[in-house]
Amino acid sequence: MELYKYLPKTNCKLCGKTCMAFALDLLQGKVKADDCPPLLEPKYKKQYETLKELLGSEEGVEKELRINVDTDLCDGCGICVTICPVNARYCPPSLSGKAPDYPPEKHQLFQVKGGKCELLELKYCRRIEAEGRERECRVCETYCPREAVKIEYV
Amino acid sequence: MEVIKTDFILNTVRRMENDQSKEFSFGDKKSLVEKLAIAFINPKDFDKLNLSSKPNLKISSNFGIIIVKGIADEDVPEGTVLMPISIWSNQITGVENSELRYKNMRVDVDITEEKINDLNSLINKIKEA
Amino acid sequence: MKRSVCSGCSLLCDDIMVKSDGIYIDEVFGACLKGKEKFDQVTSQNRILSPLIRKDDTLQKASWDEALQRTVDLIKKSKKPLIYGLSNSSCEAQLKGIELAKLINGFIDSNASICQGKVLDNAVNSGITLTTITEIINKADLILLWGSNAAESIPRLLNKVLFSRGKFRMTGREIKTLIIIDPVKTASFNTMGVRDVALRITPGKDIELIKVLKEECCAADSIPSEGVAGLDKDDMKRLLQHLSGAEYGVIFVGQGLLTPQKNSNLINELLELVQMINIKQERGRITLAMMGGHFNMNGFDHVALSMYGKRGNLHFKDNQILETDENIISKIENEDFDCSIFIGTDPISHFPMSLSSKLAKKPIILIDNRNSATLQLASIVLPTTITGIECSGLAYRLDHIPIELKKIINPPSKIPTDEEILNQIIQKLKSDGGN
Repeated sequence: MELYKYLPKTNCKLCGKTCMAFALDLLQGKVKADDCPPLLEPKYKKQYETLKELLGSEEGVEKELRINVDTDLCDGCGICVTICPVNARYCPPSLSGKAPDYPPEKHQLFQVKGGKCELLELKYCRRIEAEGRERECRVCETYCPREAVKIEYV
Repeated sequence: MEVIKTDFILNTVRRMENDQSKEFSFGDKKSLVEKLAIAFINPKDFDKLNLSSKPNLKISSNFGIIIVKGIADEDVPEGTVLMPISIWSNQITGVENSELRYKNMRVDVDITEEKINDLNSLINKIKEA
Repeated sequence: MKRSVCSGCSLLCDDIMVKSDGIYIDEVFGACLKGKEKFDQVTSQNRILSPLIRKDDTLQKASWDEALQRTVDLIKKSKKPLIYGLSNSSCEAQLKGIELAKLINGFIDSNASICQGKVLDNAVNSGITLTTITEIINKADLILLWGSNAAESIPRLLNKVLFSRGKFRMTGREIKTLIIIDPVKTASFNTMGVRDVALRITPGKDIELIKVLKEECCAADSIPSEGVAGLDKDDMKRLLQHLSGAEYGVIFVGQGLLTPQKNSNLINELLELVQMINIKQERGRITLAMMGGHFNMNGFDHVALSMYGKRGNLHFKDNQILETDENIISKIENEDFDCSIFIGTDPISHFPMSLSSKLAKKPIILIDNRNSATLQLASIVLPTTITGIECSGLAYRLDHIPIELKKIINPPSKIPTDEEILNQIIQKLKSDGGN
């Protein structure tokens, strides 16, 4: 909530939302500081600059998400396929622990091929797509019995 | 040199690497030794036995003796030896009251410089016994 | 791509997908490593592709006619033949195996009798509550792995029973509790969440734990007085709370419970404990599920039961079944056999040295598809197809549900199936009978 402190806190809704919601979006990089019209006014100049600095440094830290599957360790149990909430939403068979259909659905994250887990599409992972607490998802890493799945930021 | 001899509990298990359908399906006699002629013990026991000084473990029970490679594994509790079920581990398992005994057996574990028994020698042993 | 059944283990996953042109297998989707390796066996370098006969102490290639003739000659000479294995064959082959045993006055047994069959043996005394995989998926809120490392022995089991979202368990993993009782920290422990209970028991003390649990279950306020078998008071309390509070609990019985401890029958005690909990508990129940390594471990029991009303081993004499307390172990131990026929199993490496050396003294006929320690000592080796990939058949899943296996590709060089080989031996024995 560091960011909220430096916003005008007027809830003018010129950006289309309250200042609190704007701060959240700002944190997730959905909006830029420039999207807040009052902030550009001279009286908020100092706050604007601090905000820019804060965001700038955070943007520098921003790293790319990687999910690494160690195929030497993996034994293809398919727990990651079943537990992944994105798979559960788009591939109905995986709800009851079954293997998803082939060819894979475009949102599907994991599939088991040749006795080993394979990462298909990282784009729709909750750590990229979702908002709020859902973004903190790391079930595939937590429950892997062989500790083969690792979530990393590179 | 002082002879270190310790009482252990032997448990034989099936791991992913040595399940029934796989055992002899892949690899040659040499890779079988690497895969199956092994025993897992706790790192503390590993140090206690001073295993890094000598390469192999000699495990003996009431039923027999086998020489295998010792591997430290912190998931194994202290005082326990874990062996994959195979022709190697079955040299020291036995039968009691018409029931197979292959878990929770008392064994003596010792370090040795003797070579790991290979498959052919075990087969010959079975043949000649 | 059609969904087919995997014959890698007794879970018999019916959701795997195989990409194949009917000759080769290109790719397998959905199967675990264990299942995938079953498919790899088709082209394995250790596959046997032609009959072998031992001449001058070495195995040499032979024609089918010669090998079958030698087999029949050996069997005819034998007075007390032993047939063992069949857990990697279809129920149809098991039926033929029993027919052969009947014809040659033999003793027949399957791998189940030294493994999960023991659970059913004890069911006679205390009753047993079995369950099915589908029931577990839809209802279970407590999964207990006792002495079993499901993550390595049946890799997809936890995926199906613990992580799936069933009809009455829509939130999936969150609503299900996992308890593992095992001396070793196995791979299954990694699938645990914050609410789950990991119990590292002292090896060989399961019997004490069961006995205390039984006592505590009878007590009015079921709070254990002290810890037992390496577990502390809190562990015991949590275990009891989960066992008596579960709406639908499943205990997966592993190899760790199948060996007797301190001369008492663990399985019997466990069955009694389960029964006690179920009587006391009003809102839920505890059931048992068994885990088998070989894919058709339960099949033989069902075939024997439906044909002869007897589960497990069958001993034939003049077309009659002999009532006997003997099992495969005592038969070999007492050397009460003069020839052994093994189908799809490797007893020389799976049995203790004392038994395998006794087996090695008598002629061995091996019907299998791959190299094994038994092959090194066999007199005759008859190659066979891999059931579930190269031939179809019926198999019983670990929860005793029959599943139809489908043929996916043709076997190499016209190798016959287990069923066909056994049938040929039977026919040859019958036609040679007069000589």
